[in-house]
Amino acid sequence: MSKIKYFIEQSWLLIAASFCFGLLIAVTDAALSPKIEENKATKLNQLTMDLLREARRFVALDAEIEVKLAGGKKEKVKVYKAMSEAGECVGWSFNASGQGFADKIELVVAVDKNFEKIAGFNVLVSNETPGFGDRIKSSYYRSQFVEAPAEKLQLVKTGDPKKIDSEIVSITGATVSSEAVIGIINTFLIQIKEHIQQKGLTGDGK
Amino acid sequence: MGNDSKATTGLYRRALLAGLWRENPTFRLLIGMCPPLAVTTAVKPALTMGISVIFVLVCSNLVTSLMRNLLKPHLRIIMFTLNIATFVTICDLYLRAYLPDMSEILGAYVPLIIVNCIIIFRAEACASKCGPVVSVLDAIGTGSGFTIALCILAGIREILATGCFFGVRVMPGGFVPWLAMQMPVGAFVTLGLILGLISAVTRKKEA
Repeated sequence: MSKIKYFIEQSWLLIAASFCFGLLIAVTDAALSPKIEENKATKLNQLTMDLLREARRFVALDAEIEVKLAGGKKEKVKVYKAMSEAGECVGWSFNASGQGFADKIELVVAVDKNFEKIAGFNVLVSNETPGFGDRIKSSYYRSQFVEAPAEKLQLVKTGDPKKIDSEIVSITGATVSSEAVIGIINTFLIQIKEHIQQKGLTGDGK
Repeated sequence: MGNDSKATTGLYRRALLAGLWRENPTFRLLIGMCPPLAVTTAVKPALTMGISVIFVLVCSNLVTSLMRNLLKPHLRIIMFTLNIATFVTICDLYLRAYLPDMSEILGAYVPLIIVNCIIIFRAEACASKCGPVVSVLDAIGTGSGFTIALCILAGIREILATGCFFGVRVMPGGFVPWLAMQMPVGAFVTLGLILGLISAVTRKKEA
């Protein structure tokens, strides 16, 4: 009994403070999380709409698609069908992520309605080196993906960045980040394309 | 009575002003050096970080001061950490909700305020021994000193790295940006030069 009394005497403040602080965090989180979720959705929509300009709304596919990553890991990806104002499918978009030079890179990738051409990609999260790796966000690099074939892409050190094909010219001084983006897109794009084509969902316009 | 009032005013003034220069955490005490090196590529994120630290410092000092008579010596560090972590989490949630761009730029450095030793240092050195008014004034002074230091570093780096200050172009058209200033080396060099300058000025004053 005396041990319990001693324990309570010593720790009552810690227990009471933990409860109060926990409550404070819970209340703040409850108050702010709708706004945080709204911000995330707005950002994703903005970035995706930049890539698919005709899109007015995005409809998620019922089932998430499982993508096999390097090292045997698997990730479930939500794929969105981009719909025009008239209700026609104008493309597809999905989030893709992988290891960059400094940290994880998260992208939003868009493709045309037939999964034949890449509409482009935007960077959701990246902590690549300022001035070097973070140039994966630059139009010089990103524009090479617009209209590129939706098949396995290759990174080349030299070439014409204006020529649109499956060869992407690396960013000088940021080969690792350039490779990381190509790797992420190749991994996700090819597997999602296979799945969508197998299900016969491409270009149905519905 | 008059002397008491003067002494109290003097105490308040010292608490408020100490952190600005004499005990400036970045330039004089060299503590909490992670943000000055990591988030000073531009003034906006530096200012956001500074204001976040002021908020956390004020709240944690106030709460610590209010519970100072109840603190058990062997539990005080865990109480400080719990207290600081709560206000850092609230600050992080607020930034994510209302300043998402800044939250994204600052990334992990906002949650890392929890382990910033400036805050636990002020809780231990001031708030656990003084009343709420002195503790809050101390927090405002120390936080402001930290914010000013961040903004000085960020201002120099932003101007030299991009030719802009607070996002507004200030350098002439032909200015060639110093890309290195945007990288960690830029933070170390700028901080080193400022510390050297402060040391030279202080020694000259003392001589």
